[in-house]
Amino acid sequence: MTIDDFVTLVRDELGMPVTAEQIGLSLDEVPGWDSVHLLWLVTALERETGRRVALPDLLEASSLGAVHALYVPAAGAA
Amino acid sequence: MDTPVPTDGPARETAPLTPERRLLELLRSGRLAAHYPEVRGLLSELSGEGLTRAGQLLGRLDPDEVLREHPAVPAVTVAVTGHGTLSSLVAPLTAEFARHGLLLRPHVADYNSFVFDLSDPGSALYAAAPELVLCVLDPALVFDEVPTPWHVADVERVLDEKIRLLEGLAAAFGTTSRGTLLLNTLPLLRRHTAQLVDYRSRAALGAVWRDANARLLRLAEGHPSLVVLDLDPLAAEGDLVSDARLSVYAKSHFSPALLAVYAREAGHLGRQLTGRTKKTLVLDLDNTLWGGVLGDDGPDGIEVGGSYRGEAFLAFQRVAKQLGSQGVLLAAASKNDLEPVRAVFREHPDMVLREDDFVRITANWRPKSDNLRDLAEALNLGVDSFVFADDSPYECGLVRQELPEVAVVRLDDEPALHVERLLRDGWFDTRELTAEDRSRPAKYREESARSDFLHSFSSLEDYLRELDVRVTFTPVEERDVPRVSQITLRTNQFNLTTERLQPQDVRDRIADPATWALAIRSSDRFGDNGLVGAVFVRRDGDTGRVENFLLSCRVFSRGIEQACLSALLRHARDTGLKAVYGSYRPTAKNTTVKDLYPRYGFQPAADDGTTTTYRHDLADIVPPPEHIRLTAHPEGQAL
Repeated sequence: MTIDDFVTLVRDELGMPVTAEQIGLSLDEVPGWDSVHLLWLVTALERETGRRVALPDLLEASSLGAVHALYVPAAGAA
Repeated sequence: MDTPVPTDGPARETAPLTPERRLLELLRSGRLAAHYPEVRGLLSELSGEGLTRAGQLLGRLDPDEVLREHPAVPAVTVAVTGHGTLSSLVAPLTAEFARHGLLLRPHVADYNSFVFDLSDPGSALYAAAPELVLCVLDPALVFDEVPTPWHVADVERVLDEKIRLLEGLAAAFGTTSRGTLLLNTLPLLRRHTAQLVDYRSRAALGAVWRDANARLLRLAEGHPSLVVLDLDPLAAEGDLVSDARLSVYAKSHFSPALLAVYAREAGHLGRQLTGRTKKTLVLDLDNTLWGGVLGDDGPDGIEVGGSYRGEAFLAFQRVAKQLGSQGVLLAAASKNDLEPVRAVFREHPDMVLREDDFVRITANWRPKSDNLRDLAEALNLGVDSFVFADDSPYECGLVRQELPEVAVVRLDDEPALHVERLLRDGWFDTRELTAEDRSRPAKYREESARSDFLHSFSSLEDYLRELDVRVTFTPVEERDVPRVSQITLRTNQFNLTTERLQPQDVRDRIADPATWALAIRSSDRFGDNGLVGAVFVRRDGDTGRVENFLLSCRVFSRGIEQACLSALLRHARDTGLKAVYGSYRPTAKNTTVKDLYPRYGFQPAADDGTTTTYRHDLADIVPPPEHIRLTAHPEGQAL
């Protein structure tokens, strides 16, 4: 999942006007962010990517970029 | 910056937008509040995850902004509290309320604070003045507190403590809030039962668990402001009840799918609390009540009973009859010739539904939207009280388009699914069934007989004289409470202030020595209409203030309101009052009573933009109409 795909998903699922530039921001600094959004993102991301990530990692993610990184296969992985 | 999105300029794409894309487009262009009335129609095509996503988008709107644009949209303040993380309930709740034309103002309580929220009258929850409080209970409420390892007796002890606690909270709520509290039963999960390896203990756990849920369900009997939602039937639909990962890591103990069906039920309650319960079920005939097309297949060729598909249609007929027995008015609307249709209802040996089950059978070749309008007029009801079920996408689409207020139940070519589709949205859910409800279909059939009777007279006066209307106007008694509350919830047209009263609100008024709570009953040569209206008057020094005046639409235009107003004003004068005030607060539905007060001698006194207040100086009181025999005892004794 590219960063652009990820940003589109956040914008479409949550209706949040985030941009690719904002995904490095700490979640506290993202306008309109609420922790409940993470729970919705899990469902949406798993549906879109078919990947299951460790929920504790996701709940501890400090930025949208960190959430996105969980869904990018590590280098060398299939 | 935002990626550009199409705005009001020329359309860049010709393909119609999906409801979700349209919502996104409105949200991003900042026009969602302005276009809010469009939302209900967009949501009518969504369900499940799509609906929750839409709720997510709608949740970004400020309810106050919507109200500034559309002051008439009914807003409901709903507090969400309970066990575990519950903020995920807000999105589906927002969508479910919006589907019914209601604007949700959510108040989400702090994590696990429900005991404090409900027991302390000074809590933030009570300060939000919610009309509805959802206290969501999940099985972790119990299993968080059992020791490790645990035995059935531990579970039984914790369950007992929790039910006692909840009973106390329900009592505290009843004395503190004017709103309604929703509790729910606790689903029993396999991840708990399977921890016991012997069948005997597992069965014992199931038994103590069900006992506790039964106690929970019975709590509602002693607490009028409490509703207990039975989650077992919802859990049995087969969706995942609890997602282990979300439960363990996020303390969100119910799955998104369960929260979605919970929100759906809460939406039904919201509809009921705001007086939006549906009253009439309009059914198509061909491929809805029976299989096949009567005009092509003939009365012997249609499928009803006696075959696989015939049985499915019969099952659907039984459910319609079941609803009819509880006060739902049944009507048929079919593209057919009338006589063959009547012959099927009269003569077909396998039919469950008969002519007598319907308040009206319409079979002609006009558009169904026209027939629904006619039906509304004949029954003196708004089309927004109708549910329309049809297997034809064309007819469903037409009614949705022409009469967006009608709830459309879209059936298809699989009759085995008709029952679930019809019942899915609890259209006719009500707090408590009254004797009036059960006899309602018969009363509406009498109404069409009255209507035929009317046509045989040359003037309305002659008609009314022959109708022999008798009215009693007496204090509301305890046994009238459910019906009086129901009148305030169901009546939209003859409702001067549209103040909805729950049963406890009515009791408060009966108990208040400064309030007259009066019930109106009527009967005529065609039968007893029962309790058809109510008046609430609050006395303050030497003035009286009519809080509300309500009359069922079944008995309009017979002079009953004049008779009661006349008796009320005379009683006010005789008990020493110097003036009586009455208010009219306009809604989309009550224009018919706009001039009620001035018509009977009240003078305009004030107008604050939302409410017009009138004053009567009690000097010149309108007499009761001659054709009515009135018995009035506003304070329990003869005048």
